[in-house]
Amino acid sequence: MSNVSTRFWNPLFARLWFVFNRNRISWIGVVLLLILVSLAVLAPVISPYNPVEQHVMDQFRGPSAKYWLGTDEYGRDLFTRIVWGARISLTVGTVSVILGMIIGSILGMYAGYKGGVRDEFIMRVMDVFMSIPTLLMGLFVVAVLGPSTMNLIIAIALTVVPRFARIARAPTVSIKERDYIEACRAMGFSDLRIMLVHVLPNILGDIMVMGSLWVATAVRIEASLSFIGLGVPPPTPTWGGMVREGFEKMLDSPGASIYPGIFILLTVFAFNLIGDGLRDVIDPRLRES
Amino acid sequence: MNQEHLLEVRNLTTAFRIQGNLFPAVRGIDLHLDRNETLALVGESGCGKSITALSIMRLIPQPPGEIVSGEVFMKGIDLLTLPEERMRKIRGNKMAMIFQEPMTSLNPVLTVGFQIMEALIYHQDVTNVKAKELAIEIMNQVKIPSASRRFKDYPHQFSGGQRQRVMIAMALACRPEIILADEPTTALDVTIQAQILYLLAELKREYSMAMIFITHNLGIVASIADRVAVMYGGEIVEVAPVGDLFEKPRHPYTEMLLRAVPRVDLNIEKLSYIPGQVPSIDRMPPGCHYAPRCDLRMELCDRQDADLVPLPGEPAHRVRCWIRGDSREIQDKP
Amino acid sequence: MIKFVLNRFLLSIPTLLAILTIVFLIARVIPGDPASVILGDSASQEALENLRHRLGLDQSLIQQYIQFITGVFRGNLGDSLVSGTSVMREVLNVLPYTIDLTIAGVLIGIVFGVPLGILTALYRNSFLDFIARILSLIGLSFPAFYSAILLIIVFSLQLGWFPVISSGNLLDPVQRLHHLILPACNLGLIMVAYVTRATRSSMLDVLREDYMRTAKAKGIPGMVILFRHALRNALIPIITVIGLYIGVLVGNSVLTEIVFNRPGLGKLIIGALNQRDYTMLQGLMVVYSIIIVITNLITDLTYGFSDPRVKYS
Repeated sequence: MSNVSTRFWNPLFARLWFVFNRNRISWIGVVLLLILVSLAVLAPVISPYNPVEQHVMDQFRGPSAKYWLGTDEYGRDLFTRIVWGARISLTVGTVSVILGMIIGSILGMYAGYKGGVRDEFIMRVMDVFMSIPTLLMGLFVVAVLGPSTMNLIIAIALTVVPRFARIARAPTVSIKERDYIEACRAMGFSDLRIMLVHVLPNILGDIMVMGSLWVATAVRIEASLSFIGLGVPPPTPTWGGMVREGFEKMLDSPGASIYPGIFILLTVFAFNLIGDGLRDVIDPRLRES
Repeated sequence: MNQEHLLEVRNLTTAFRIQGNLFPAVRGIDLHLDRNETLALVGESGCGKSITALSIMRLIPQPPGEIVSGEVFMKGIDLLTLPEERMRKIRGNKMAMIFQEPMTSLNPVLTVGFQIMEALIYHQDVTNVKAKELAIEIMNQVKIPSASRRFKDYPHQFSGGQRQRVMIAMALACRPEIILADEPTTALDVTIQAQILYLLAELKREYSMAMIFITHNLGIVASIADRVAVMYGGEIVEVAPVGDLFEKPRHPYTEMLLRAVPRVDLNIEKLSYIPGQVPSIDRMPPGCHYAPRCDLRMELCDRQDADLVPLPGEPAHRVRCWIRGDSREIQDKP
Repeated sequence: MIKFVLNRFLLSIPTLLAILTIVFLIARVIPGDPASVILGDSASQEALENLRHRLGLDQSLIQQYIQFITGVFRGNLGDSLVSGTSVMREVLNVLPYTIDLTIAGVLIGIVFGVPLGILTALYRNSFLDFIARILSLIGLSFPAFYSAILLIIVFSLQLGWFPVISSGNLLDPVQRLHHLILPACNLGLIMVAYVTRATRSSMLDVLREDYMRTAKAKGIPGMVILFRHALRNALIPIITVIGLYIGVLVGNSVLTEIVFNRPGLGKLIIGALNQRDYTMLQGLMVVYSIIIVITNLITDLTYGFSDPRVKYS
């Protein structure tokens, strides 16, 4: 197994590193993301207040030394809530994509490896899933299941699954035809083992790149659903929910909706920057050179 | 200096930028072309034949390509110094080019007929109706069956050989004086190749055009060319009238090239091949480009490149070789 | 040609059926009882039974499915749980607003995105290209509700150029347009980012093609080469890509309608959500499914007409 891993990991990361480095600007995305992640991780340490703590005397305050970004309609500290909100956005964004990535890749590999009717059926269903707009899908699923963190993750994962099924299937089909797979089969290796040892390493690079692109979308959907009121229920701070509350009282204090929005934008932008730098890795035109 | 040449290329050098450095793809090209003449440009792939033709047409993609030096005179006018707009009026009008890949060189979303008449519209003062008439006439001349009906067809509806006929019709639409044919038959089946070659030769005679014919196939050269220029590693290594070249090749590379051609008339048991390959443009040897593969090479060959000089008593036959051609005193060289 | 259109039309019916089936399955098969979600945890058993009966949830799954599908094909999407009016009527009332918004958004996206994409492809790796790339990445990253809020703050509250609430009287063209501009720009600006990127990459592919060199060798003027030879070919994949963005567009139009408080399908769906109007929600999903299938059909047909290699038969 160690043999397999060195054979595969080194070239993959070398390629990722090479392509990524050509797009210097993507490093800004990495730096941004690191900052956002440390904010989220260190939330209990750096936030000056409790995120749900209300200061009745200090509603709609502007930025000050006491409240760095001001307060909302209940006098809650915006900076504190933003930092705690980062936890929700980043967790829901990454967990949902990883979940969708695992399910989608298994489905895609299975469909590509088995071929025939099973392949046809799975991929048709994936195509149909893919044609339903991501936000609507999330909205509908959360509406049916009821709003909660878990349901939010399920809803977003569901929209992500078909994309990964597709990207996992195509290389599986071509790898399956190769002689050494034929030989493995002749030697009596199980299908599961062939898929894990021979197919998976070949598609992992593409899947990971695709994953980083979809986290951007997942974070945006999470924010949108929270904005609509289908996110993690209050009083837990979410960026989308904060924008919503701020927007309803926009005339009193525009900052309450502007500041959390900036953080949504920055997070999605960071993931898009990274994804854009990595995109070249899965672009077959560039791969030839 | 000969004013009467139709086309004269002097000291043409075209370079490509690779990771910041300029590397010459063709260097010091000297050649000329007279009226009604066919000059064959021969060499292995990557030797700079197409780059030479594209430089003459000023079609080198820029960047990364760049014409570094030289002159290209057509009837006394240097094409390389013309403003782009005047050069445009020469392209496809006075001088046209036929490309290698008829599959990808035609625009898939425009009708074949339109692509042929397009050159007429922009170069000649004709109405659309007249241009269409002329286009159909040319389609007939290149022997596309039922031309007027196929005028409205798209390239994907044509076979490979017929697409090359369309390419020829496009190039000849304005009756150019010079035609540059870049391996026009390479992508085609052997039987179709012969038909296309025959057609080109016939039309060339009929329109009294001059042609530069680029190929790596010496068999074709023997049947079509008046003179031959052999290229290696971005340089012309030997130029001669076609008969002289086949009978008494002087450059070691030409010799090897001729020996590598399968021949039925000579009962040779073993076909020779040239060991190694053309060096890429960023790894060109400092001296004679052929030296690393040459049987005759001397110490000087590795150090310095020879000039393309005429053989004594044969002004039309020129060779770039220290041993066979350049008779400069070897001792004088550093 | 009529055969081609008819053929594609018939082919899109199974797709619609498949989407409807998935909508149906999500609504019924996923664990969780819609009745208890609608009424909340404190509802009495009797009330739950009552609602289940009203929703047809006490019937067998097959029966429900057949009723659902036949209903859709008859144009009957059921009645709203809250107001009791037909879902179809409510949809038709607000549909013009959503159509206005979406078409305007796509138009803005194409009108600005295509030329910008061409320019960045022609001057690739230039400063302009770099700036356009960063800006379009920012565009892609904007949640539509946030950009809408920023537009309102700047253009409605600060400058006062446009009304904050954008509905307008459908019969008064000036008012209709005035209320449309800001939301349409919100949808359009994000679209510009997508279209620019798609156009750039498609143009770059085409510029590398052999036939571009052929056209230049024919001595055709540069502008003619660009538009007739390059753009005609580049547009074919662009059409497909724009068709694919219908998903993004639909999502963004919902958010835009909420922020601008503009009547439309998006407003309707949020209203249904807040009031737990289950039939309305399901009906709207059906309407969106139909919209998506129609968009795919239009994309397919446009593609067919712009690429001669697609056979009409």
